[in-house]
Amino acid sequence: MRRRALNITSLIAAAALLLCACSPAAPADQAKTLKVVYQKTDSFSALDNLFQSAKSEFEAAHEGVTVELQPIQANDDDYGTKLALALRSPSTAPDVFYEDTFKVRSDVDAGFLLKLDDHLAQWKDWEKFDDAAKAAGLGDDGGTYAVPLGTDTRAIWYNKKVLAAAGVGLPWEPRTWQDILDTARKIKANDPTVVPFNMYAGKGTGEGTVMQSFYELLYGTGDALYDADARKWVVGSDGFTESLAFLKTLYDEQLAVSPAEALDANVWKKVFGEWLPQGKMGATVEGSYAPSFWQEGGSYEWPEYGTDMGVAAFPTKDGQAPGAVSMSGGWTLAVGAGTKDPDLAFEFLGTALNQKNSLAFNIASSQIAVREDVAADAGYQAANPFVKDVSDLVSVTHYRPATADYPRISAAVQEATEAVITGSKSPEQAAADYDAAVAGIVGGDKTVRK
Amino acid sequence: MTTAAPASRRELYVGPSRGQRRARLPADAALLLIGACFLLPLLWLVFASLDPEAGHETRVPGEVSLDNFAAVMTPGLLFQPLWNSMVLSAGTAAVNLVAAVLAAYPLSRYRSRFNRPFLYAVLFGTCLPVTAIMVPVYGLFVQLELLDSMPATIFFMATTTLPMAIWMTKNFMDAVPVSLEEAAWVDGASGLAALRTIVLPLMRQGLGVVFIFVFIQAWGNFFVPFVLLLSEARQPAAVSIFSFFGQHGAVAYGQLAAFSILYSVPVLALYVIVARGAGSSFALTGAMKG
Amino acid sequence: MPVLPLMRPLPTWRMPAGLRRRARLLPVVPAVLLLLVFLAGPVLWAFQASFTNAALTGRNARSPGWVGLDNYQRLLTDPVLPLSLGLTVLFVGGSAILGQNLLGLTIAVLMRQARKPVAAVVGTAVVAAWVLPEIVAAFAAYAYFSRDGTLNQLLGGLGFGQPDWLYSFPMAAIMLANVWRGTAFSMLVYRAALNDVPADVTEAALMDGATGWQRLAFITLPMIRGSIATNLMLITLQTLAVFTLIWVMTAGGPANSSTTLPVLAYVEAFKFGDIGYGTAVASLLILIGAVFGAAYVRLLREGKP
Repeated sequence: MRRRALNITSLIAAAALLLCACSPAAPADQAKTLKVVYQKTDSFSALDNLFQSAKSEFEAAHEGVTVELQPIQANDDDYGTKLALALRSPSTAPDVFYEDTFKVRSDVDAGFLLKLDDHLAQWKDWEKFDDAAKAAGLGDDGGTYAVPLGTDTRAIWYNKKVLAAAGVGLPWEPRTWQDILDTARKIKANDPTVVPFNMYAGKGTGEGTVMQSFYELLYGTGDALYDADARKWVVGSDGFTESLAFLKTLYDEQLAVSPAEALDANVWKKVFGEWLPQGKMGATVEGSYAPSFWQEGGSYEWPEYGTDMGVAAFPTKDGQAPGAVSMSGGWTLAVGAGTKDPDLAFEFLGTALNQKNSLAFNIASSQIAVREDVAADAGYQAANPFVKDVSDLVSVTHYRPATADYPRISAAVQEATEAVITGSKSPEQAAADYDAAVAGIVGGDKTVRK
Repeated sequence: MTTAAPASRRELYVGPSRGQRRARLPADAALLLIGACFLLPLLWLVFASLDPEAGHETRVPGEVSLDNFAAVMTPGLLFQPLWNSMVLSAGTAAVNLVAAVLAAYPLSRYRSRFNRPFLYAVLFGTCLPVTAIMVPVYGLFVQLELLDSMPATIFFMATTTLPMAIWMTKNFMDAVPVSLEEAAWVDGASGLAALRTIVLPLMRQGLGVVFIFVFIQAWGNFFVPFVLLLSEARQPAAVSIFSFFGQHGAVAYGQLAAFSILYSVPVLALYVIVARGAGSSFALTGAMKG
Repeated sequence: MPVLPLMRPLPTWRMPAGLRRRARLLPVVPAVLLLLVFLAGPVLWAFQASFTNAALTGRNARSPGWVGLDNYQRLLTDPVLPLSLGLTVLFVGGSAILGQNLLGLTIAVLMRQARKPVAAVVGTAVVAAWVLPEIVAAFAAYAYFSRDGTLNQLLGGLGFGQPDWLYSFPMAAIMLANVWRGTAFSMLVYRAALNDVPADVTEAALMDGATGWQRLAFITLPMIRGSIATNLMLITLQTLAVFTLIWVMTAGGPANSSTTLPVLAYVEAFKFGDIGYGTAVASLLILIGAVFGAAYVRLLREGKP
């Protein structure tokens, strides 16, 4: 008995060793295989569809070429980590990959991205791309390294039924921060079980915390995170402290979700999937892509979202010009610097971003189109009831500072918001600690006191 | 093996004294209480896996259903990652066994100035915080272009458990009387031949314990494959379950629990197989004598 | 006896020549090679990298430069370091040296007194948490301590308050979870050790009228002090390295209040891409491990009869 058990284990072990000895370390014909790395989650399959379609299109047009799709199943943060891990080694670096706009510059600095200027010059589709969006792919040297898939804006998404029940006039158009607080308190007084007005905070939601919450506040005070002309980071601004104080008010008065919920990395799923559809949340600040979750085929299908939800621009602090604030990010496709066949890789990128594929992707993921031939398409304009509202916000939008230091600065901002909503620091203290952290990250000479 | 016998013999002829018998009831009660505390966190796993509407809270499922299991039993979600885990763990255990047996033999059989420092070094390496060296190991793998390679990951994982495996193997080998080999030496057999024909067959069960001990460790390892294996096709269950959790988050707790159970059953079963022989391998003190 | 003495006399009839003696060590080579390449190598690499500004991305990914002691200087002034160091000590001291060690010893002692089936069943329950894959154990602990989890249901049922453990008491939650997960190891070690204590020793003490606790403290424990020291060393170093459990349960939060050194090293190196700084933190961790290890090895040698 015992002898047999041992024999079986050793057999398995031998088999396992053999197996890994034979498992393909590298495809034999590297030149004819393109490796594509991108993100895929169960609530984000639009990109997977895009690449599946581009793959069959491309393989049909190029005999003998195999496109190897390598979706990474992870949230934005973990995707960023895994992509960075893969990029660093020539043996695992992909030929074409999905890249967040705010990482483009640091990855160009690292030498991970191929300069696309020569290829773009010969690509007739390039002139159809929006100029502001083109800027997202620029490196510090002025060359273009990435091609945008789409862009987005941020706005207030509110549940009309919840607001109406509290006696708020519709459409709701807050003009100042005070308007937001007044309305939120009104909703709370009417029904204490409802979350009146949520804004993300803390490290759990990562970039969501800054993109869908803190920057709307900060840029609405007239202050900024980064002085692009002087190439210096702003510290000591009143706007920074005021923005933290606003978050503190929201969380202290329990107008937002509880701090514990806010720190859960999955809180946004509850916002989209439970609280808003079930009328348990009055409003939240979210991206223009919100309808992608609710529309048919989305992760949290909600047929009535078009009539039940309303969208409003996020106001500046005291209603000062231009009256509203938005943030834009978005993702791009880039070609790996170490690709064996740059022409082929770029050609695949061009196929993935042609009019047909861009259109399908922008509709499915509720992205704001960056190609004019997509923006003009009737199907795109009718994709959801909010396309026009959120596209108009491009006129008041801001972009993140695209520098190599940005991810760390962003983490410091997230930390400041977390300290404030958990009550471990006052807004002034958190702002002062942020200033110290920034000086530590970029060096004191790269900061400017406002 | 040799170890269980003395213990049970002792109990046979000594038997519980009166004092011990009096202490039995409180001891039983205290133990049962502790045991219950240890089982409580697992209750949720079992209940949630059978509950199609599971959440965070533990509750007896309103309606028991295997839907959660059915939902996760797909090739991409379950079988491929489990197979990868299998390859990784079996490979790790096999490499360990070979290296540990070879290393343990001279340590167990010959006196050498080299033994003591080596054993202390190994003891020390037993628990070098693996987390701390993951960053440099990642760097090493980048430089050697070994990232995303199953064999390289196997060798690394094998190394992290190797010190423990050497300890255990040496313990088991020490228990095999040297007199049996002396006969073979007289016949002119080399040390390694004696090892193969005489020592190894006698320590079969011990080797099984080492193999399974390492296998269980590798099976549960999350951090190493998370950093060293990148492509989806090579991810073991530990990593795929993590991304599953990250993505589904608030939504599919029942499926997460079902996945967890399917992933845990193989090692629980393996443990039960060796549980009887494993006790003696924890007699760490003996190894330090001498 | 489970283990025979380590070094036995050589058979007298064969006098080994120096060369022959060396050849006998040949089988150790594969193990030594593996240990050198995959353990010693990375440790040295860690120390070296901690003096550079190597990064995952950005300029320094392409050409990392030597920055001397900058990373360590930054580490010393980083406000998170004292916090993280304190949390690590608390975590190791509370959950390993006190929690796992004492609970493991208690269970092992109780098992000798309890009825056999009871001991077997409880032993299985304790070991189950240890055998589970770490990520599954982490999920189970996360669900157990979450706001509407099992623990709060129990507390609610008993009429106590129901705090949000992972948010309000993150350290308590991860320490309890680590005790739950790791006690089995100490229990197994102590069970094996107690089995080696000759029954006549305790019997003799019984005749002298020593009570149970005195017997344990003055007779049994000194006899197994070798096991105690080894066990302490192993669980200390294991606990020092715990990452997955904390990462899944709290990810170091809220506001860094459960960021132990491994979490800090991971965040710095992989999330912020600052490999140089991350390895500085990791090097500190290795050093702490080395100090603990050396202390226990000393203890072990002094304790030897």
